[in-house]
Amino acid sequence: MAEATTLLAMFEDLEPASKGVDKLQQLGLGVDDMNVISGIPIKNTILGRPSAITYVSRIGLFGAILGMSLGIFLIYGIPYLYPLLVGGQPIFPVPQGLIITFEMTMLGLMGFSFIGMFVDSGFPSYTPKEYTPEVSEGKIALLFSCPAGQQEKFIDALKEAGAESIEPVEARHL
Amino acid sequence: MATLAKPLGRSHTEEHEDPRQYLMHDPLPRGQMNAMVMEAMHETNPIFWVITGILALTVLFTLGYDWYVLIMVGQGTAGVLRPDYWGVFLVNVVFWIGISHAGTFISAILRVLKIESRRPFTRAAELMTTFGLVQAGLSVFMHLGRVWLTYWMFPIPNERRIWPDFHSPLMWDLMAITTYLLCSTMYLFLPLIPDLAMARDRTKEGWLKQFYKILSIGFRGTEGEWKNLTTAMNIFAFAIIPVMFSVHTIVSWDFAMASRPGWSSTVFGPYFVIGALHSGMAAVAIVLFLLRSTMKHYKYFLRAEQFNTIGMLMLLVSMAWAYFYFNDYIVPWYGGDVWDKLVQEYTEKGPLAYLWYTMLFVNIVVPWATLWNQKWRETPWLLAIVGVLINIGMYIERYIIIPVGVTINRMPFTWRQYEPRIEVPMTIGTFALFLLLYMLASRIIPLIPVWEVQEGQEAHMIRKIGKAEVSTLSDLE
Repeated sequence: MAEATTLLAMFEDLEPASKGVDKLQQLGLGVDDMNVISGIPIKNTILGRPSAITYVSRIGLFGAILGMSLGIFLIYGIPYLYPLLVGGQPIFPVPQGLIITFEMTMLGLMGFSFIGMFVDSGFPSYTPKEYTPEVSEGKIALLFSCPAGQQEKFIDALKEAGAESIEPVEARHL
Repeated sequence: MATLAKPLGRSHTEEHEDPRQYLMHDPLPRGQMNAMVMEAMHETNPIFWVITGILALTVLFTLGYDWYVLIMVGQGTAGVLRPDYWGVFLVNVVFWIGISHAGTFISAILRVLKIESRRPFTRAAELMTTFGLVQAGLSVFMHLGRVWLTYWMFPIPNERRIWPDFHSPLMWDLMAITTYLLCSTMYLFLPLIPDLAMARDRTKEGWLKQFYKILSIGFRGTEGEWKNLTTAMNIFAFAIIPVMFSVHTIVSWDFAMASRPGWSSTVFGPYFVIGALHSGMAAVAIVLFLLRSTMKHYKYFLRAEQFNTIGMLMLLVSMAWAYFYFNDYIVPWYGGDVWDKLVQEYTEKGPLAYLWYTMLFVNIVVPWATLWNQKWRETPWLLAIVGVLINIGMYIERYIIIPVGVTINRMPFTWRQYEPRIEVPMTIGTFALFLLLYMLASRIIPLIPVWEVQEGQEAHMIRKIGKAEVSTLSDLE
């Protein structure tokens, strides 16, 4: 798509938005050529879209392993470097080890899931983006690119599907 | 067959209830709900600022000035003397950690179990967690005395040339509370992002617009953004529940690991967790009542069903607390250890026995006598009063465990009744700071998760089956 125009179609409800996605696919747009922007999370099957890929859980799992390693170091590494005998307890006890390891594992899991959400979504991002505040008012937006000169065909198809408006959109500061 | 024709109860027409009494079946356009929440945030009357000013002054004098005195003069200004080295500051730590528990617990467990009435009040509860933990953290520093040496607890090189002992329950406490504070703050922030984006979209130019713009981190609501956000929220909802249990269990081990009469108990872990939930649930009821009474339009979001849910949880937790308390009571009573007996006798017949009876009355009798009734559970002011009484009872419980508990030890010549001194105004200060933070947050953070409410309303439908209209729920996520 050498010369492409970006359009934003607004829908009042899920039903016409789903039809709009169908129309765009029938006109030859691939799944990556469009994006649905909404004020609530919508199950991908409702709109007939493929499930978005997320790496958050994998990043979280990596964090959990890292946290567990840090926990093991704190409870077993520190007494190895600085042995401190207290109350006749062993230097390398298992029960206390479980407590510190558990806390650090959970901190790693949740901390990295949080960071993962940022990294995978490209947050924070304050660059201009294609968006309309109507989305947070409950409308569903269909953002797509089509070959320049063929706009009319796409606009007609989406109007037929029930779009309220279809307009060219430019990236702007949110 | 004539007897069978006799109605067993009210006829179905009498039983018919208006589905619109439930928030999920009484939808408003999203734009209108956004406007209501934003209006509630930005429209304040002078009384609000008068109360804010009074609270700010209270914090300044009680936490600011009194803490300055405590640091400059020393711990002698407090009532802690042998054998009561653990006084009200630690009562406050346990109390505020308890308050912080219900916020995350209610939000996470109700989200995991998909209890729909949770939707409008999860954030108000989560915010309690963060601000409650702030008070708990401050109380630890008050108890420390020489706060400037706090860094000795962190595994960093220092002039003592030794590292913290991670075998000690106090270090477990540091790790657990830090983990819980960080994770619950992240858990508060995640579902807030779409509402901050809504606030950004509805705010005209100015510092507030910039504030929302920065905090909404560029969120638009694309498919990928929602997927990442909901995945992270699901991980948090599941993972934060065991962390919550671990935190108060570890707090209980600060006491139970000591070989001291009245403290060395194997049931302390779950008993403390249930105690935390008991006070925390009651605090949620108070907060919801205050929000409903003072914030414009909140009567639409916080309805009888929300108070009923909280009331049922309060009743359930009250029963569980009674069960664990009885377990903690009966074993030393039956066991016959002379020191345990002495602690129990001092608690029940000593000069502070009235505290023990008050605790049992407000923690068990009051909730059992009131919360069995649905009508009463659905009455916000009544639930709030029960909540206040339960919190008084739970504060007393911690007071009995800590300063009253340490009075009776194995060295009778040290026995001395603890009397709090500078701790009293500083405790008032923590309550004032909690309220102040909450009031200020209510002006800049949408306390109702509007997107979650709309999501729930989209998913709910009334369907007629036979002669009845029943609620059906679709899984839109």
